[in-house]
Amino acid sequence: MTRVWSYRPQLLHLGLFFAAYILGCGFAQALAIVPGTGISIWPPSGLFIATLILAPKQSWRWWVLVGCLGELFGNILWFHSPLPAAVLIYVGNALGAMVGAWLVNRALGRPVRLETLREVLVFVVLGAGAAPVVSATVGSATLAWFGILSQTFLGAWPLWWIGDATGVLIVAPLALVVIQNWNSKAELSAARWIEACAVGLILLGVAALSLGGYLPFSYIIMPPLLWAAVRFEFKGAAVTLALLALVTAIFTISGASQFAGNAENQRHSQIMLQLFLAISAFSALVVAAISRQHQLALLTLRQSVEALRDRERELSQIVNMVPVHIRRLTPEGEPTFFNKRLVDFFGLDLQQLNRPGTSQLVANIETLVHPDDAPSLLQAVRHAVATGEPYSMKYRMRRADGVYRWVDGRAEPLRDEGGKILQWYAISIDIDDEVRAHEALRDRERELSQLVDALPVHVWSWTPAGELAYVNKRSLADLGLSKANLEDAVRVAQKLVHPDDAPEVLRASANSLKTGDVFMMRYRRRWKDGNYRWIEARAQPLRDQDGAIVHWYQVSIDIEDEMQAQEALRNREREFSQLVDMVPSLLWRLSPTGEPTFFNKRMMDFFGVDPREANKLDTSGRVAIIESAIHPDDSAEMAKALNRSLATGKRFSMRYRLRRADGVYRWVDGSAEPLRDESGRIVQWYGLSHDIDDQLRAEETLRESERQLRRLVDALPTLIWAAAADGEPIYLNRRLAEYVGLTLVDLDSPDASRLQMAIQNSVHPDDTASVGQALAHSFTTGETFTMKYRHRRADGTYRWIIGRAEPLRDTDGTIQQWYGVSFDIDDDVRTQEELRRTQERLAVASQAASLAELSASIAHEVNQPLAAIVANSHACHRWLSVEPPNVERATTVAERIIRDANAAADIVSRIRALFRQSPETRNSTTLASVITEAGGLMAEEGARRRVRMDISVENNLPPVTLDSVQIQQVLINLIRNGMDAMDLIAGEKVLEVQARRVGSEVQTEIIDCGRGIGSPDRIFEPFFTTKQHGMGMGLAICRSIVEAHGGRLWAEENEPRGARFIFTLPIATKAAP
Amino acid sequence: MKKTRPIVAVVDDDPRLLESLEELLESAGYAASCFPSAGHLLVRGLADLDVLITDIGMPGTDGFELREIVKKARPELPVFLVTGRHEIADQGRAQGISGFFRKPFDAPTLLAAIAETLQKSKNGG
Repeated sequence: MTRVWSYRPQLLHLGLFFAAYILGCGFAQALAIVPGTGISIWPPSGLFIATLILAPKQSWRWWVLVGCLGELFGNILWFHSPLPAAVLIYVGNALGAMVGAWLVNRALGRPVRLETLREVLVFVVLGAGAAPVVSATVGSATLAWFGILSQTFLGAWPLWWIGDATGVLIVAPLALVVIQNWNSKAELSAARWIEACAVGLILLGVAALSLGGYLPFSYIIMPPLLWAAVRFEFKGAAVTLALLALVTAIFTISGASQFAGNAENQRHSQIMLQLFLAISAFSALVVAAISRQHQLALLTLRQSVEALRDRERELSQIVNMVPVHIRRLTPEGEPTFFNKRLVDFFGLDLQQLNRPGTSQLVANIETLVHPDDAPSLLQAVRHAVATGEPYSMKYRMRRADGVYRWVDGRAEPLRDEGGKILQWYAISIDIDDEVRAHEALRDRERELSQLVDALPVHVWSWTPAGELAYVNKRSLADLGLSKANLEDAVRVAQKLVHPDDAPEVLRASANSLKTGDVFMMRYRRRWKDGNYRWIEARAQPLRDQDGAIVHWYQVSIDIEDEMQAQEALRNREREFSQLVDMVPSLLWRLSPTGEPTFFNKRMMDFFGVDPREANKLDTSGRVAIIESAIHPDDSAEMAKALNRSLATGKRFSMRYRLRRADGVYRWVDGSAEPLRDESGRIVQWYGLSHDIDDQLRAEETLRESERQLRRLVDALPTLIWAAAADGEPIYLNRRLAEYVGLTLVDLDSPDASRLQMAIQNSVHPDDTASVGQALAHSFTTGETFTMKYRHRRADGTYRWIIGRAEPLRDTDGTIQQWYGVSFDIDDDVRTQEELRRTQERLAVASQAASLAELSASIAHEVNQPLAAIVANSHACHRWLSVEPPNVERATTVAERIIRDANAAADIVSRIRALFRQSPETRNSTTLASVITEAGGLMAEEGARRRVRMDISVENNLPPVTLDSVQIQQVLINLIRNGMDAMDLIAGEKVLEVQARRVGSEVQTEIIDCGRGIGSPDRIFEPFFTTKQHGMGMGLAICRSIVEAHGGRLWAEENEPRGARFIFTLPIATKAAP
Repeated sequence: MKKTRPIVAVVDDDPRLLESLEELLESAGYAASCFPSAGHLLVRGLADLDVLITDIGMPGTDGFELREIVKKARPELPVFLVTGRHEIADQGRAQGISGFFRKPFDAPTLLAAIAETLQKSKNGG
């Protein structure tokens, strides 16, 4: 319903249509000149069909409805047919109109203009011929059915058909013209209007004359009608036809027409009228259409000529204006035309180039083409001319200014239909700039290509689909690839990307390909040696003007070193960080204004701050920290020093006490230095507080210890000194300084070293040489120095000391210092001397005492029997002296005397036996060891008595069997005797002890250079002595000991003086027990 | 007559010397009473003794000690010390003591000293 409503035509149009329809009905009624035969001309059919032709199909139902109303209204006014018949008739009319409109539209399309003969004919046949068949059939059937006017179907049908057809022919063109030109302006000129008016008047006049019966032939109307149709075409025809119909109607109605007549003629007249109008209309329409068509053709032709002329002018302009050199050649190749550009280029025209006697072509080429290109161009042209093949060539042409420029020359032949060449058309385009640009471009491209290949980066390009399109040489070389195996990006990625990175790379690259976002990633790529190296890959799309991605370009930079450096840097940073936290010091950082920005972990531990709450500490600020953490005694000075450093930028260094978390103040050595930027501005302060509390205490302890040691060293009753490695004295303890009355300063002399000065000034002159030598030896070899010598004391007295010095060595064994001590042993030496003398005296005394004891014992033993003998002898004497002699008792006593005397003899024998050593105590030993031992025992005594002992024992002395104690006694006895013998002599005292093998014995000699022996024979007798205190038993015992060993002991005079005591001992035989 | 013979006690650890002194004293008209040690003498008693001759070096109580003991009991009893060890005779405590003899002593001198002592005591008594 809405569709129907939406296609509703304007009410004004519907109204006009309604009015026109009723007017048409009235007009038809007026022309119904034959009573009872109904309608002669039916204008509504033309109106109806024209309206439907022009109206959209969807609105047809509106027109049909309005038409129905109009016809029914006309039926009421004029026709008076029964309603069903009227409706049926209208249905027939409507069907006819719709069929006609549909057919015309279908055949001619929209809009229908009826400007060609074909259109007019189609309109006449379909609209005026076919459509009335429908309406006539329905209408005639209705008339016959209802018996209106006693019509038969066959009787009514022709009239009906021709009436409708006439209506269509006359009204439909008019309606079309009116409707189509409703709003168009009149385009006629004044002359045309005059002509139109003239034609109208002529038509009216002729029509009035012919139809008014003055002229016998109505067709005289045709000339003006055709005139109008020819001159004014369809519109003229339509208007004149309408006028003609009106005139006809007027005269018919008035009865003045030829078609008015009596009853029998009426039918004939009506048909005639209808035919007249139909033929007139048909003719006018056809002529109008032909005229129109002719006019159109003329117009078209004129327009075409005009267009051709324009085109030719344009082409000519183009030929001259296009920036192309154009020339035309004869089929033989001779130039016949140069376009303006070419003439301008050469600065010459064809005539100027013409050289009589030579071919124009050859002349042109030789003149105008670069000598290098001329032969080949000539050859190419000739070849083309000979074969008919087009040629194309690039060569240089000389411009008017003499400059050769590259052109791209081409020529193609124009052939006629038979294929014969009519002309050659040749063009040449100046491509000099292009060629140079190309060259530049090629150079640039080569450069770029070299650049891309030389760059130490991997340059790849990808298609938008993600396929690898290009890989620079560097990549191929680095990755060990050939171009063949770069087909699939996924495979490439999988092959070259580290397995750990591959999924992420694929995901990111796929994402980039999808979204067009820049691809940027760091990952590891496999080099041809199999190692993975870190790269930074960036890929960006190249887009065309529309923003579509043309290519992806990827650059991969080897950042392995950078990554490693970064890794190393990170490690170092971590290490540094650990270092900062691990160094056993308190590290801190201040802003240039002195506010704390960092404490290391140790410091936070020191303060007892949880590192997670470090921020709180930072906000507490410098002043707060100084107040809370620095010892009150130090805080003011610390703040002052720190502020001064902050103000001046100079190093901060101070010792102060810092409060630890447990409240204990500890000494720290704090220092801070600024870090400056390039402009010298302070960026940070870095500070370090080193806990020196323990150190300070240790130092204090050390100092105390050192003081104590120094006191000790000075207090020790010992002379202590120290010397450098070369022996130069560097320290004397107080005792030594006081002892020798010298200080180190006194030892400084320009002429001698300290050491020399010390020796010269403090050592006994007799000892300086040996001391200097011994010290020099020690300092050279590093051996311990130890020596007894005499020191001069400050008071000038010389005292014996024993000096010792040992080196202090470092771990390498290098001598650092020498430390020496000197003990004053003067008292000891003297005491020892005294002691020794006492001992000697004691020894002599004890020797004497033991002899006395021995002799006393012997005496006692012997005295007992002697006393008994003496007493008995007196008793015997008395018994015999009395009178009478008591012989009996005397005899008894005498017997006792004999007994006791024998007993005394036994005692003596026993004593002798006592001195005879038993062989059991002997063993086989070497005499050398015994002699050495005895010499050692006597060495000290010899030294004291200023006797030099020279002991020489032959090597490899055979062993002897001896009682080493007894033989030692013999040796000591003889040595001491020798020494005694030399007591009183002046000069050198030498005692020699020699032992050597003589035959089957070992002979030992003790030789002195004393006074000699007065009586060599007697000295061995017991109780013979030459000494003041001697008892005369020594040599006797010695001889008895030696003889007990199976040897001999004797004495000889020594030459030139002295004595020689010799004893022998038999060499032990192996079989000896 | 028998009663008039003075009794001389001799103490010595050497039996040969005891025998010889007994013979000598008997030959000189004394009654010799011999003891091998001081102990034996002290057991016998000192009462009837006229002279005591004792060796110095003896085991147990030596001659000096015996003399001290005798001096307390009979201060007037003459005591002669005899020794075979001359060094004892040289000792300080032997100095100034009368009746000191070294072995082998001179028999007549001894007899004369005994006689003199007996005479002296007889006169004094």
